[in-house]
Amino acid sequence: MKTLAVLALLAAIPAGAAVADDHGRNHDDDCLVPMADWQPREAVERLAAANGWAVRRIKVDDGCYEIVGTDADGRGIEAKVDPATLAVIEIEHEDDDEDDDHRGRDDRGAGRAPAAPGPAAPPRNQLLGTGAPPQARVN
Amino acid sequence: MRSALATLALTTALTMPGLAEARPVTLTTTLSDYGGDGAYLALYVTDAEGAYVGSLWMAGGKSKYYDHLSAWHRATGGDLAQVDGITGASVGPGRTLEISVDLADALFDAGYTLHIDAAVEDMRDSPNEVAVPLTQGGAGTAVAGRRYVASFRYDM
Repeated sequence: MKTLAVLALLAAIPAGAAVADDHGRNHDDDCLVPMADWQPREAVERLAAANGWAVRRIKVDDGCYEIVGTDADGRGIEAKVDPATLAVIEIEHEDDDEDDDHRGRDDRGAGRAPAAPGPAAPPRNQLLGTGAPPQARVN
Repeated sequence: MRSALATLALTTALTMPGLAEARPVTLTTTLSDYGGDGAYLALYVTDAEGAYVGSLWMAGGKSKYYDHLSAWHRATGGDLAQVDGITGASVGPGRTLEISVDLADALFDAGYTLHIDAAVEDMRDSPNEVAVPLTQGGAGTAVAGRRYVASFRYDM
């Protein structure tokens, strides 16, 4: 009986299930919309057209629709959209920072320029002997 | 006792930098061909008690994704000052990140562990992708990560 109980317990633990692992994630950007309330993709396409966006793809991320494309000025954007209300929750521009954004772009870690430490001094974290900033390179 | 001595050495290094003994170390991280976007990587160190000591490098520039580096994030509370000035681009599949850094001598053979957390968008997070003790004897030995890191080693 005890073996059975142990096995049942083990079975109940989701081995490798992504759902259980949250690790304190920030979910402010997530959408929690029941499937019944989702508007169809066509509605998202119409929203994009109304905003003058060229759509490269529409995907689902963190429970929201996400439009990947370019805006009316030709800037790459990713727009997070509430699937029920079609409210735009967030827009990220691909040139927001020097670094990677999402797929479609040349970001297979494309050996970008040596990572400059930037104007800020490295953290005083007891690890660096001389205080000189680490230098990094992607090959 | 050893840990206390190491802590004293590090504290001394902070207050009297001229006395800090350090050595140039190269950290080489090669990613596998996991077939996804550029990976975010956090390299950081914990002491013999497992307490966070500091970060060595953050590959990946969008801080909103840093919570996917969950062990690092839990240890630092997501404090961006920890990676101020030591942040660079994410690293794609099959690519190698090479970091040259002067590391305090006191970090070696004193129970310190170097960790790498890894995360790839739309793929599984991998906290503690790599965790290796910092020792003289461990230099030059490559270890494989759990998911995204094909090999990691430190050379000095």
